[in-house]
Amino acid sequence: MKKRLRYFLLSVLSLGIFLFVWYLITDILGIFPERALPSPTKILTTLMKKFTQRAPDGGTMLEHIWASLKLAMYGFALGAVIGIPVGIVMAWYRKADLFITPLFNFIRPIPPIAWIPLMLIFFGIGQTAKAAVIFVSTVTQCILNSYLGIKQTKDVHRWVATTFGASNTQILFKVAIPSALPMIFTGLSLSMNLAWMTLVAAEMLAADKGLGYLIQYARMMARVDLVIAGMIMITIIGAILNAVLTKIEHSVVKGRHME
Amino acid sequence: MSEPKKRNNNFAGSKSEVIVMAVFAFACFFCVWYLVSLNERIGKFFPNPIVVLESFFQAFVTPIGQNTMLEHIFYSLRRVTTGFLLGAFIGIPLGLVMACSKTLRALLMPLFSIVRPIPGLAWIPLAILWFGLGESSKYFLICMTALVGITVQTYHGALNVDPLHIGAARMLGANNFQLFTNVIIRSAIPYIFAGLQGSFAGAWCAVIAAEMIRSDEGVGWIIFNGMNYANTTQVIAGMLAIGIVGLITSALLRALERSFCKWNIQGK
Repeated sequence: MKKRLRYFLLSVLSLGIFLFVWYLITDILGIFPERALPSPTKILTTLMKKFTQRAPDGGTMLEHIWASLKLAMYGFALGAVIGIPVGIVMAWYRKADLFITPLFNFIRPIPPIAWIPLMLIFFGIGQTAKAAVIFVSTVTQCILNSYLGIKQTKDVHRWVATTFGASNTQILFKVAIPSALPMIFTGLSLSMNLAWMTLVAAEMLAADKGLGYLIQYARMMARVDLVIAGMIMITIIGAILNAVLTKIEHSVVKGRHME
Repeated sequence: MSEPKKRNNNFAGSKSEVIVMAVFAFACFFCVWYLVSLNERIGKFFPNPIVVLESFFQAFVTPIGQNTMLEHIFYSLRRVTTGFLLGAFIGIPLGLVMACSKTLRALLMPLFSIVRPIPGLAWIPLAILWFGLGESSKYFLICMTALVGITVQTYHGALNVDPLHIGAARMLGANNFQLFTNVIIRSAIPYIFAGLQGSFAGAWCAVIAAEMIRSDEGVGWIIFNGMNYANTTQVIAGMLAIGIVGLITSALLRALERSFCKWNIQGK
């Protein structure tokens, strides 16, 4: 108990010193000019103001968040809805495996970011292009993880099901998919992170709304405080998305914690 | 982060069938691509596969912009290697230190937890503002992207050392330093390699993003420049190069792992 308290105190101390030194070298001593490193208080006020103020980029923080979130959800949902079944089919049916896997391995090494220019040419600078990029980044990760998850079905479990007279489809739905669920959820959370990051990059390249656009615009205005405020918001939203996904996983995947 | 080494393959299919199906799949893929590009409206901005492959190989001889394809790849690889090594040199010691000393963990973990959830590419504007548009901002960005994954994996590796091994080493009279160099680092190596492999993919992403935002050469520049001139052929050729280089580098890292920690591969 005493050790825990010591650990906690040291952590708080470390954070406190970090913030204090930051405050000291910016606001009090003024070693760094504000356009290089603004003080923590300045960033906090900028962040708060941004929720009501439209200047300089033409949108309040909530509007940017909503624009980014909407796009991320479209692309992510579509990617998951298509990717997971494709991965399962690939892993379960031999013909599909032999046919799709080589193509998949051909597409997979291309990072999602590299799809941005192609999608922008195809769909123009708009929401569709960005949703398509997020779709690509989500769908590859979801296919990969559901494929690996189904492939890891224990032989013993399959044999038991076969012995009790289950058909191939029954084994798939009653044995393979439930046992692959933890792996599929890992894939979902990985692709959620990837999708969120890819979206920020896409918005930096071509957008007129969204958090990525906000930090890129603030960069061009040389407003470091606004850049950092935007980064904080991106990080917080990413963390919230992850927490929501974990919550869903806990309620859907039963028996994971019994092992 | 990393795939399991050995997968339970349910199909023991014959090799020839695998190859035949793969060839068939690619044939179908290219046929569909070719047919789609025949359509006049789509064909205007979507070239057929032959044109793309031709221009891909052509790029090795005639330059795109200032440089040939190999030079572009070299520029990108130099950037990613520098930033990645920087990340590894900071990340591995940081992970080890946080795992081994409770005091340092208490001091460093809160700060690391602030940096950790920031998506790597969100550093781009800050990197440019702090380090300018030159090379150093790209190194910083790649370093930040690689650092997080490497640190996390090293930390977990050094924390999950088998207590039996530590006990055995202690019983045989190892002091703290010997315990650290002979037991902890060695058991952490497989994790460190998993971290390096996972982070390299992220670093490769970061270099492409950085080159798209601002640069005059590199594979990211190829696709971004192609987009600006609506030159789909150049974009797809660049994507092909990016994919191939990514594949080769990850294969190299795997080979490195195989020669560095043989015991781990054999144990699995």
